[in-house]
Amino acid sequence: MGRINWNNLILHIDINSYFATLLQQENPHLRNKPLGVIKDFGRTCIIASSKEAKKVGIKTGANAREAKLQAPNLILLPAQFDRYLDATKRLRKLFLDLSPDVYIYSLDEAFINLNHCQKYLYQNPLEFAQNLQNQVKQELGEWVTCNIGIAPNYLLAKLASNMAKTEGIMEINKENLDGILASAKFGDVCGIGFRLEEKLRLIGVENPYQIRFYSQADLEKTFGPFWSRELLKIAYGEETNHFQLLEKPATQMKSAGRSITGYHLYDKEEEIRAIIYNLISETIAKVRKMKLAGREVGIFLTGEGKSWYDHITVKRPINHESEMFELLYYKLYKSWHRNFKIIRFAVRISLLEPMGQNSLLPNWQRREKLHQALDKVNEKYGLFTARSGALLNQPIIRPEVTGFLGDRIYQLGE
Amino acid sequence: MYQTIGEEILVAGSYKEHRFHPFKFLWRNKTYKIDQITLVSDIKDGGVKKRWYSVLVGREVYRILFNRETETWTLEELWVE
Repeated sequence: MGRINWNNLILHIDINSYFATLLQQENPHLRNKPLGVIKDFGRTCIIASSKEAKKVGIKTGANAREAKLQAPNLILLPAQFDRYLDATKRLRKLFLDLSPDVYIYSLDEAFINLNHCQKYLYQNPLEFAQNLQNQVKQELGEWVTCNIGIAPNYLLAKLASNMAKTEGIMEINKENLDGILASAKFGDVCGIGFRLEEKLRLIGVENPYQIRFYSQADLEKTFGPFWSRELLKIAYGEETNHFQLLEKPATQMKSAGRSITGYHLYDKEEEIRAIIYNLISETIAKVRKMKLAGREVGIFLTGEGKSWYDHITVKRPINHESEMFELLYYKLYKSWHRNFKIIRFAVRISLLEPMGQNSLLPNWQRREKLHQALDKVNEKYGLFTARSGALLNQPIIRPEVTGFLGDRIYQLGE
Repeated sequence: MYQTIGEEILVAGSYKEHRFHPFKFLWRNKTYKIDQITLVSDIKDGGVKKRWYSVLVGREVYRILFNRETETWTLEELWVE
């Protein structure tokens, strides 16, 4: 153990309460007030809350009606996803001016790797972080604050920014590493979720440092071969597998998909069919824009406390919505005997590879020509301007960006 | 909450560091002097590039939108308490 290169320098930037903060930035009437961000009018889940809302106990994921009872002065506003994505793009540009090694981890989080330029440009990391906080304010506005973690690797940099107080800067170095690991909450450690935390408590481990008291063999009995190794890395502050993968960014997306939680439980077949088609259209549009095609498609439906998932792998990569719909709806969904009303829909296409000429069959060629024409129209005038008849007389579910930015390659062109 | 307006407006401003900065707009025959631009966002509506400006006129918050293809301005929303 002890494989940390202390000469390395990574910064993790986390914009405080991003979605709510940007709404407060644009509108001073919302500042210093509890604010809950919902997806749209009529939605009941708070997807982000302001610093002030968090102070009165309203967390992300809270039910809007219950939150209103808890804080009657709570303001609820719909998210502005396009504007959040643009703000993230602006931040990315700012960070890239400082270092060529920037990884946008989610809409509101980024890592800046200073290993290749620190010696010449940034002698004092703390001063650099303070300047960066000011530059973020200059770029997005005076109300936008961020936490910054400074450490020799990604795991510790993120831990530091999670542990720093709001608008704070925390540095993890050789001297304070053990103390920080002994005082960290598992919730601050990226990779340790609720279930893992519960299991650790059951064996008497309350903080990352205490994991050191167990051998890998002991840990394996409870956590298996992968997590026993990962937990020991966390115990010593070493880079975990999850972050090691960031060093080898994917050149293309491995899968693409779209999910939606409906406004109500869906039972009518024509509505279910249209929603599935709608989600497939968006997924295929993404895949085609990236000039990819996939060989595996999957569908996941939940509702009334039940769920159903199925997938199918085909020999030839597909990138036509009618093909994906045929597989997901007719082959998978229709052969399943639905036994619940649906609230959440998700579709996915994976095993993506660069799109080549797939088939010489005249049918496929005709469909491809049609898709190319649709791509051109929709690229110019917006997705769903030209669309399948399956979506006629149906409310259209439009694209939106997710907070964790799972499709960052598509959204940011990384 | 934001009240939807969606009416065309005329905007005057100046260029500073290669960016346009609106400083007043004409809506329903009345001129509104912009005191502060609080947030600017570039978005794409299909292939059409648009730019949102959230601006303060006195204590009032307005969301105005510039269509970069047609070069037209719209007052999209205003904040009402």
